[in-house]
Amino acid sequence: MRTLLSALLAAQKQPSGVPYVKVEVVDSIGGVKRLDWQRLYSGSEPDSYHAATMPADGSLNRCRVDGGNLYRQRVADPGPGSDFSAWTLMDACAGAGVALTSYGASVLLFYVGTNGRTIYLRESSDYGASFGSPTTITTPASAVGWLAAALKSNGTALLLYSVGGAVYRVKRSGGSWGSPAAWTNSLSSVSGLACQYWLDFNVLVTGADSQGRNKVWSTIYGDGHSEGVDAWSPLREVTGASAGSSVEFRAPSLACADTFRATFIEKYTGSESYSRPYFSYCPIAADYVDNLWREPVPHDLSGQYGLALASSAAAAWLTAPWRVWQAPLAPSILDVTDDVLELSSEDQPGGGHLRVVLRNDDGRYLDLSGANAVIQRGAEVQVSPGYVTGSGPLASAGPAYWLEGWEYASGGGSATLVLHARDAWQLLDGWIARRQYAWANGERNLFQLLSFVLARAGLELSALSSSPTMTDLYPSFTIHPGESGATAVRRLLAMAPDVLFFRGDLAYVKNPQAGDAADYAFGAEHPILRGRYASLRPPANRAQVFGDGPFVEGFDWPDIEDAYDRVRQTHDLNLDTVALAQDRAAAELRHLAMASQGGFLVAPPNCGQELYDVVAITDPSAGLSSANRRVVGLNLRYVRGGPAPAYEQRLTLGAV
Amino acid sequence: MDVRRGVVKSFNSVTYKATVQVAGSLSVWLEEVPVARNIASGEMVAGRRCALIFFSESDPRDALVVGVYT
Repeated sequence: MRTLLSALLAAQKQPSGVPYVKVEVVDSIGGVKRLDWQRLYSGSEPDSYHAATMPADGSLNRCRVDGGNLYRQRVADPGPGSDFSAWTLMDACAGAGVALTSYGASVLLFYVGTNGRTIYLRESSDYGASFGSPTTITTPASAVGWLAAALKSNGTALLLYSVGGAVYRVKRSGGSWGSPAAWTNSLSSVSGLACQYWLDFNVLVTGADSQGRNKVWSTIYGDGHSEGVDAWSPLREVTGASAGSSVEFRAPSLACADTFRATFIEKYTGSESYSRPYFSYCPIAADYVDNLWREPVPHDLSGQYGLALASSAAAAWLTAPWRVWQAPLAPSILDVTDDVLELSSEDQPGGGHLRVVLRNDDGRYLDLSGANAVIQRGAEVQVSPGYVTGSGPLASAGPAYWLEGWEYASGGGSATLVLHARDAWQLLDGWIARRQYAWANGERNLFQLLSFVLARAGLELSALSSSPTMTDLYPSFTIHPGESGATAVRRLLAMAPDVLFFRGDLAYVKNPQAGDAADYAFGAEHPILRGRYASLRPPANRAQVFGDGPFVEGFDWPDIEDAYDRVRQTHDLNLDTVALAQDRAAAELRHLAMASQGGFLVAPPNCGQELYDVVAITDPSAGLSSANRRVVGLNLRYVRGGPAPAYEQRLTLGAV
Repeated sequence: MDVRRGVVKSFNSVTYKATVQVAGSLSVWLEEVPVARNIASGEMVAGRRCALIFFSESDPRDALVVGVYT
């Protein structure tokens, strides 16, 4: 249960309270702003190696390679009216990677000389307005492929470059460049590099491994946060393709704006070939080392050299030599609280939905532009139930839903806008695996697998409590093409006693245990309007678990003694020890036990109530005194004014 | 139990396991899928279509190539 302010807690226990339901529409998923790219420039520059950065003054600095020459551009105050077509010739260069990085007023531009091997640096200390003379950083023995660079606030800089399948780093500390050193990973070829500093030097690499599998990997060159100083982390797969699949990846870009955001090219050389940019991002609170990425989304462009990402505090920028896009980073929020006429929501373990009726008698929502533009399909609707208290209106930030659509209604002298939305399970339902995902036994534990699937849908996972199975079971697991994230999550949850619920746009696992204490009490201080309390037979009372060798049974003896046995069988080759099989039997019995009681109660809303809370019920008419039940469903109904105003919450009950 | 169609990509006659492109997965193939011993190794030709049974929908080890055709 969400913690409530004392004034709100007191208000919701009053026999008659004044409802307050805060409703906001936000342009985000999982707390991450949905970028609304606006194209600002469409030119005729050829596709080639390029880079972009944005120093502290908000100027957009770009560079590109064209016909053996390096060009740069600086737009001091980039915006819709800016000229992105003027380029300045910098130097002759090789047809190889370039890199731009900046911090404060410093801008570093790296490129490869005409011999194809010597890497030069030109540095600016005035936000890219002017650059110094070229400085030689290193001259490898073989041709240089791709470059990437990042700059820290103290002036420490890291240059990465590829030679064949090896990546080398050169670090500038205290103003002096060190010697190049090869990384400790291994690839057979590199087709792109990107680097961004945030606590560590965070890197994206594209290329092929020794078995010919093309992939996008993340890796970290440590600065003491997730990886030791000057140490490389292993490569972690972001996305990949089997050898011989005719799919390859190249030209990544990485930015740390509101969160880590990335782009890369996916290239398919089979029939109906394509070479298309994809973009992705990390959940808002995820560390780079977690390697959690939303499912990459295609961008409507064709190219070989990818898109360069840059950002300021206000906006993200996406550039190719012949294109520039901008997207604001500040979240758009529309508070519709005062216009809510009716609201009903239903939250169940497998999904929930929301319906909000907004007044539109004066046509205020007929034009969904300007401030109303945030009302668009996929926007997040945040519902916070509350009351008007002595301290003013107070609410508890409650569940989140995402807009599926809306309808205008008229008649009887009224006009309304009705919003229809579904909860985060809809985001999971909407994520459909477009490839085979497979993890070998021992590769990732249950929590990590759940985190992967949720991140693919743009959601973040945390734990309120968790069973040992969540962290101890490393199953062999696959998601087939065409299957949804919701299906995968249900299969993973079936392996443990834990349950999943959403608080706002964050997902939590929780291990519901028979001895859990009540989170809240109804009946004594918080009135019950009506209730129905059922005692049910569980769907099964005997769990038979067949593993890879072990066979284990679990029994609900009291129920078997009452009404003989009902068997549920589980077959799972991941259960290769008796202990694992016993854990699974116990998990099965826990799930079954929660279904051994039913019913519901209706009460004035407890603003902090959540799925799987335990509530103590005192209802003398039903013979209940501080009887504990688990909340397995939640409905909220709010009707403001009219002939039958209502503000009530219905709790579907199960056994603890 | 789940039945799916695929394409044989490679076959190891020693382990009697195959790499299979499950229908719908353009870029990533499922490796080390057991093959029914009643299928002659000579029939497991790369490029042929095959039928797979997943006894457990989510455990790729608990699967079997039960037929190869075209």
